[in-house]
Amino acid sequence: MAELTRRQLLATLGLAWLADTSLPRVRPFEGRIVGADQRLGHLLRDGVKTGPAAGPIERADVVIVGSGVSGASAAWRLAAAGVESLMLELEGFAGGTSSWGEDGVVAHPWGAHYLPVPEPTARAPLRLLEELGVITGWDAAARPILQEQHLCHAPEERLFHEGAWHMGLVPQTLLDAGERAEFERFLGKMDEFTHARGNDGRPAFAIPLSFSSRDAEYLKLDRLTMAAWLDEHRFTTPFLRWYVEYATLDDFGADLDCISAWAALHYFCSRRFETEQTKGSHFLVWPEGNGHLVRHMLARAKGVRRHRQAVLAITPGARGVVLDVLDASEPERPVLRRIEARAAILAVAGFIAKRLLADAKEVTVRASSPWLVANLHVRRPCEPNRAWDSVLFDARGLGYVDAGHQRIAPAEETVLTYFRAYGAADVRAARAALGNRRWAELAADVLLDLAPAHPELGEQTSRLDCMLWGHAMPRPEVGFLSATREPMNAPVFLANNIAWAHVDQSGIALFEEANTHGVRAAEAVLDGLGHRRGESWI
Amino acid sequence: MVERRFVSPTLLACVVIIATSGIVYELIAATMASYVLGDSVAQFSFVIGLYLFAMGIGSYASRFIEHALLDRFVEIELALALVGGLSAPCLFLVYTAQGAFRGALYSIVVLVGTLVGIEIPLLIRLLEFRLNLKELVARVLSLDYVGALFASLLFPLVFVPKLGLQRTSMAFGILNALVAVISTFLLPITHARIWRLRASCCVVIAILAVGIASFERITTHREATYFGAPIAFAAQSPYQRIVMTQSPRTTRLFLNGNLQFSSDDEHRYHEVLVHPAVSALGREPKSVLILGGGDGLAAREVLRYPKVEQVLLIDLDQEVTRIFREVPLARTLNRDALRDARVTIMNEDAFGFLERCRDSFDLAIVDFPDPGNYAVGKLYTLTFYQRLRERVGVRGLAVIQATSPYFARKSFWTIAETVAAADFRVVPMHVHVPSFGEWGFILAGAEGLREPRTLIPSVGELRFLTNEALPALFSFPRDMERVPAIVNRLNDQQLVSTYTNEWEEWQN
Ligand SMILES: Cc1cc2nc3c(=O)[nH]c(=O)nc-3n(C[C@H](O)[C@H](O)[C@H](O)COP(=O)(O)OP(=O)(O)OC[C@H]3O[C@@H](n4cnc5c(N)ncnc54)[C@H](O)[C@@H]3O)c2cc1C
Repeated sequence: MAELTRRQLLATLGLAWLADTSLPRVRPFEGRIVGADQRLGHLLRDGVKTGPAAGPIERADVVIVGSGVSGASAAWRLAAAGVESLMLELEGFAGGTSSWGEDGVVAHPWGAHYLPVPEPTARAPLRLLEELGVITGWDAAARPILQEQHLCHAPEERLFHEGAWHMGLVPQTLLDAGERAEFERFLGKMDEFTHARGNDGRPAFAIPLSFSSRDAEYLKLDRLTMAAWLDEHRFTTPFLRWYVEYATLDDFGADLDCISAWAALHYFCSRRFETEQTKGSHFLVWPEGNGHLVRHMLARAKGVRRHRQAVLAITPGARGVVLDVLDASEPERPVLRRIEARAAILAVAGFIAKRLLADAKEVTVRASSPWLVANLHVRRPCEPNRAWDSVLFDARGLGYVDAGHQRIAPAEETVLTYFRAYGAADVRAARAALGNRRWAELAADVLLDLAPAHPELGEQTSRLDCMLWGHAMPRPEVGFLSATREPMNAPVFLANNIAWAHVDQSGIALFEEANTHGVRAAEAVLDGLGHRRGESWI
Repeated sequence: MVERRFVSPTLLACVVIIATSGIVYELIAATMASYVLGDSVAQFSFVIGLYLFAMGIGSYASRFIEHALLDRFVEIELALALVGGLSAPCLFLVYTAQGAFRGALYSIVVLVGTLVGIEIPLLIRLLEFRLNLKELVARVLSLDYVGALFASLLFPLVFVPKLGLQRTSMAFGILNALVAVISTFLLPITHARIWRLRASCCVVIAILAVGIASFERITTHREATYFGAPIAFAAQSPYQRIVMTQSPRTTRLFLNGNLQFSSDDEHRYHEVLVHPAVSALGREPKSVLILGGGDGLAAREVLRYPKVEQVLLIDLDQEVTRIFREVPLARTLNRDALRDARVTIMNEDAFGFLERCRDSFDLAIVDFPDPGNYAVGKLYTLTFYQRLRERVGVRGLAVIQATSPYFARKSFWTIAETVAAADFRVVPMHVHVPSFGEWGFILAGAEGLREPRTLIPSVGELRFLTNEALPALFSFPRDMERVPAIVNRLNDQQLVSTYTNEWEEWQN
């Protein structure tokens, strides 16, 4: 495998050399594997011998475990009701899979990187955007008016196909008549679903997910894979299949033949909101990606946030909840602590929640895909027509986004965020393989994957950091919807005063889902503790 | 005898180098000629012919060299290193100093050709006693032709794109000088002179090395035939390639190959850009903001008004404003507007500037390149005009160059629509600029904005505009009338494709 890779690298460089007849001077660049503290993570998995806790028992009102979107949203909601929270986060950084980096010329995402303008049903995210000044007001029809600068500047996407860049993800010029006709038919079908309503009067697909119709007509789509659905409807041309698979990989990190057709169709058919302003791109984009949103919510939170805190166990106690926490803020001398709180919000993935609370039957554990995210700090000549999202047709990864895209002035230096999802059915194997790679191999892989479009990238890169997400996001495989706890819009309590909030509840990793779950859990906890919280934000 | 059959590979490599550099000098001269004089077919043909002929002269002349062949050979190599190596920079300097370019060109071609013509016969004679004639001619000439192949393949593919003409020429000068050094080691030479020769080699190499280090990469093949007129000035900034051409009648500025102005009719453009706006304002502006317009021509018009106190000019490209502040040819065009004490220049992105600026201005003049790509296209969006609106307030006024309402009709009206959406009242205008065709501008102001009827008297006499000429600016004939258009937004920028399609249609 390593041999083959090296040969491919040489071949690509050779071709590049022929193409521009200059010898490639691949400058060595620096970088490392960042984030996701393997050691702490494994402590959690393998269990630590819990000796007696050091120091006195600490007391807190509400503890939030996890600082991802769900946790941050809960803290944001609690703060609005005047309630402090103690946030405990495993990693040295905040944001979970929506975290971000600030080194280099421009901030950049380590995970989630955009938010489509939310549907009117996603009330909590809309409120957040209003707080941030992204929404400046509401028109006569009560639709949000946006600060346009936050919408992805044109051009949004481009595709590298057979040696050249094309504007858009589906450049019409690349398709022959048959492919174009099939594409039209596909879009027609998606449009039908987008506006379809079930026998309960609800839209077939909605965001948050819990607003979707429960009509059996649509629910049955959860029993087959997207690949099977495409076959059934005779969608066969390679370009269309590539396009749909690109979407399932990009959104769920999995191939067509594992993903539930319902989930894939949800991706294409759940967004109906449109105004004059959003007819171009309807993506809200910031340099630090959705970290922008997390950062705001954390800034609003009341109370303390501690990092390198591995919560090991939670038990319902006499006065609420007892948490056993491994405090690794001094990595060489981790200490075990005990915290007593009136309530806790577990804003962690299902498989972790299950470990923390032995008999948490209410938790839905999801399959999840590993991802590789790399941030490349580059200096390259200004070029006026570069897109935010650059996708390579035959690549293994999903391409890259330019974190500096929303800057108004042209700039030579920027950070490119590269994504690759390991979409095959065997996630364990993929995860193990990814975990064993060293930085140099990963960096070579990234450059090799982008080399057809950017043979010069190695020379332009000064730093290339990688983040390995072992469990990046839930995979909505066939049957994921029927595994989802009902009713979907009710708070999930694992025990008295222990609420669970995470995208795993929905099974589809979207900001709106995580944000809504966090807010809902916080409101339920406020109610449970007898705090006045005012009207619901959901 | 073994000795007689052996010729060192180093020596043979020298032959290849000599041959390569000979052809390279010829190609450089031809390229420079077509670049400056235009008509590349004729220029290549003349230069090659003259060069070959000069080589003949050289070959013939070689018979008069009888003694100390090796010393002569080294000297000829050095002469070639200097004349050939410095040919491109010399020609360029002659040209920019407006000297006799043709004279210099043909003298250099003849000189280099003659020297190259002497080279090979001399070399053959030097090696005569090492190899029999049949062997010798076969080897030397075949290598000579190999060198020629090298040169003609590498010149357009590698040397010009990677090094540029100037540096290619000097690099080959150095190679020639190195051949001279090497031959003092390889061939028998009298000891008394050897050090003197080597020292001269070092001097020549040093001269050329300094030349390479200090001379900027000048141009590429493509430009040579692009502009038609001789190039007076060329520079490369991080954002664009700046070329100024000068023929006896006109000076023209090209940015990335696109004509920005032509001196014989730019007054029409700039008078219409500035004066109707001032008239519509109804008073002389005190503070003026110019966005783009690094050529200082709009500033020149603004400075006609005595009451102007402050002109702030924002242009992204430091190189452009430097040229129009320093280069004499450019300074005569804008009448030293950029050196006027009232003018402040800031090199930054205009959009970024508007984002952070908190001052307000009486008049804003927006003069960007056409929206042909997404980077410039940002400066034609609703968000941009909203920021602009904040800077001119209710009393101020803006004027915006808005491409051609004839060639790019929909683009023009898209810009008008977008400006209007930013809460401006708009008055569109157009004028005929012969080198561009019909050109359009948008006056943008508050509620009370009206078509101006008279110029402000203090402007004095203009070359194109008079009170009588004003009304025609505002009347749009049928084929330029308003067409339906939609607002151009940052997250869409359909203007870029509209604009590109409209101009492409005209080019086909
Ligand atoms: C590469 C990538 C790209 C994505 N792109 C997008 C996008 O563009 N738009 C979008 O909407 N969504 C995107 N997503 C999905 C994104 O994951 C969700 O939108 C959302 O961020 C999930 O937040 P969460 O809080 O529910 O979970 P998580 O992000 O998983 O947060 C859980 C947090 O809990 C912490 N934690 C875990 N165990 C413990 C413990 N025992 N003790 C203490 N702390 C613990 C973790 O460290 C983490 O910080 C992307 C995801 C990835 C991986």
